[in-house]
Amino acid sequence: MRITAKAKQETRLKLLSCAHKLFLKKGFEATTTRDVVAAAGIATGTLFNYFASKEALAMTLLADALEQGREAWDERRPQASTLDETLFALIAALLRSLAPHRSYVGDVMATAMSPFTRDAVSHEGDAFRVDHLAIVRELLLESRPALAAGPGPSFVSMHLYWTLFLGVLAFWSSDDSPQQQDSLAVLDQSLKLFATSLQGDGATDGQP
Amino acid sequence: MTTDLARTPDVADLIAALPEGVDQPPMQTDELASYLARLALRPIPTGRLSRFWILSSLQAKVAAAYLAWWLRKGFVSKEKAAAALNETHLKAALELLGSMSYLRGAVMKMGQTLANLPNVVPQEFVEALKVLHFEAPPMHFSLLRELVHAELGGEVEELFAEFDTEAFAAASLGQVHRARLHDGREVAVKIQYPNIARSIHADLANMAAVLTPMRLTGGWANLREQFDDIRTMLDQEMDYVQEAAMQERARALFDDNDRIVVPAVHQELSSERVLTTDLLVGQHLPAFLADSPSQADRDHFGQLLVNSTFRLMYRGEMCYADPHPGNYLFLGDGRLGLLDFGCIAKLDGDQAEYTRLAGRAMREGGATMDELVAQSTNSKDVSELTPEHRQLIIDLCDWLWIPMRHSGPFDFADPDYFQRGVDLTTEVMRKRYTQSRPVNTWFNRLFYGVRAMLHHLGARADMRAAEERECSLGPVIPE
Repeated sequence: MRITAKAKQETRLKLLSCAHKLFLKKGFEATTTRDVVAAAGIATGTLFNYFASKEALAMTLLADALEQGREAWDERRPQASTLDETLFALIAALLRSLAPHRSYVGDVMATAMSPFTRDAVSHEGDAFRVDHLAIVRELLLESRPALAAGPGPSFVSMHLYWTLFLGVLAFWSSDDSPQQQDSLAVLDQSLKLFATSLQGDGATDGQP
Repeated sequence: MTTDLARTPDVADLIAALPEGVDQPPMQTDELASYLARLALRPIPTGRLSRFWILSSLQAKVAAAYLAWWLRKGFVSKEKAAAALNETHLKAALELLGSMSYLRGAVMKMGQTLANLPNVVPQEFVEALKVLHFEAPPMHFSLLRELVHAELGGEVEELFAEFDTEAFAAASLGQVHRARLHDGREVAVKIQYPNIARSIHADLANMAAVLTPMRLTGGWANLREQFDDIRTMLDQEMDYVQEAAMQERARALFDDNDRIVVPAVHQELSSERVLTTDLLVGQHLPAFLADSPSQADRDHFGQLLVNSTFRLMYRGEMCYADPHPGNYLFLGDGRLGLLDFGCIAKLDGDQAEYTRLAGRAMREGGATMDELVAQSTNSKDVSELTPEHRQLIIDLCDWLWIPMRHSGPFDFADPDYFQRGVDLTTEVMRKRYTQSRPVNTWFNRLFYGVRAMLHHLGARADMRAAEERECSLGPVIPE
């Protein structure tokens, strides 16, 4: 019997939803693919028709959430704000959307988005990184017209930003302060430092 | 280097690395008096939004190290007319202390403590302390929105009909925004910078560790007490729930007839780090004075200021621990607004009894006066003090009580009266008669601060009648 596209889609969603609940309950490491397919009620082998690995599944969950966060940010972008505020709003929106997944974000990111792995472990993680950096690059160019006139933000600046972003995520994922407010402080001050560092990228217009 | 410092090796390393300064003539200050006056009339923080505020406890450690070195030098060479002060290092310390800009309260207190050490207070240090406000890093609206969501559980747009994205005032540890509720009422929303509480605690702990060498000197115990006082004060200021409770307690003390108003708290829009209160519209002292008010207006508000002070103290058993003009608002309809209950001291049983003792001593003199002098200096008996010391305290009390013994309105504009108080207080501090209880510090600051305000108001007010009335009524028992 051929399975319909609709049915495939439903199964896919079911897998994601069951995996999420299991990750929350047992943790990412302790959850096996067997657990996931058992919860979803599908045959063991068929998981890999949908997701290449447990990591891919988890990263899909996170990437979906991140995309929702990005859309939320896009809808209510602050008008005429400084660079650090715009970036803050973006990352804060992403964190909010990741909130339901916080307990396993660290474990997933450690594999799917680790800056230490040579090859891209996760297609989804890599795709997110590329998309996110493209957005950030646009925002940098908007706020620093002088950068647009030249080759754009330097490789170092973009790398600095990415490590800042991962650092904030890492901090946030194990932040036990009330409503993770410490992370807001870390994010705010990190971005201020980053915006300051961009002065060296040829910005002479004195923009904040 | 003492073994105490070995417990905090990194700070000790910093201290060991400090260069030895070149002896230079001291920067004498004879301006304790004007310093104190300016202390009482500290400019209201208006939130000059520094853009590149960076929090660094490492910087704080280094700053504290320089401070400790400088203080130790002062103590070591106290026999010399001039303590060895090195301007370069001092400037470095000032700059670094400047990076701890949120520590207004703590550093101001340190300044007061240092001001107690004669001939060791450099003018520059004092000047720099004056401008160190409690500036939390400025918060943009995107951060505010996250904080409101975290603290109040809803979006700014849902909870408020309108919300100014720009702050209209700085507050201790945060900033204040105007907003409007869905029912149309205008409110002030104070929001605290995240994580600042923990940062301050950490830096204060570092400061305390660095000042440990002072344990070797006589002033340590008192300094320790003041340090604990700072910590308590900061803990209080960080907790807006406690502030809300104090504000509501104060609010209950006044009704329309008093022409004194404390803004109501909106509990459902308040939390530990967000405080929403009714917005009062009026002028602070400098703006009020700039409009050249009539004598009648000055007297009017002066009287309200006096009335509010005694009402809070005797009926509410509370007082502003750190009064400054920002606490008072002159409303267009003639009412006096009382603001900012983050730094209010709630008198415990002993302290409340102490205020009543002071009242009795004022009226009776004699043995009661001796008892007051003893208690105010933390002595078991007045005989523990030198006659000179005892007389000075009596003189200071008498000065404080002149307006309260005077029939009818007292003219606080009188420069001679004011100067006498400055002289006496300076004398007390010069002679290092500063071993006293925290409650005394509050009273000194309160009395001095209120009188300084009255003086600048140029007001004539009947302090005696106000004091008698409020004292006789006794404390309000809260329901």
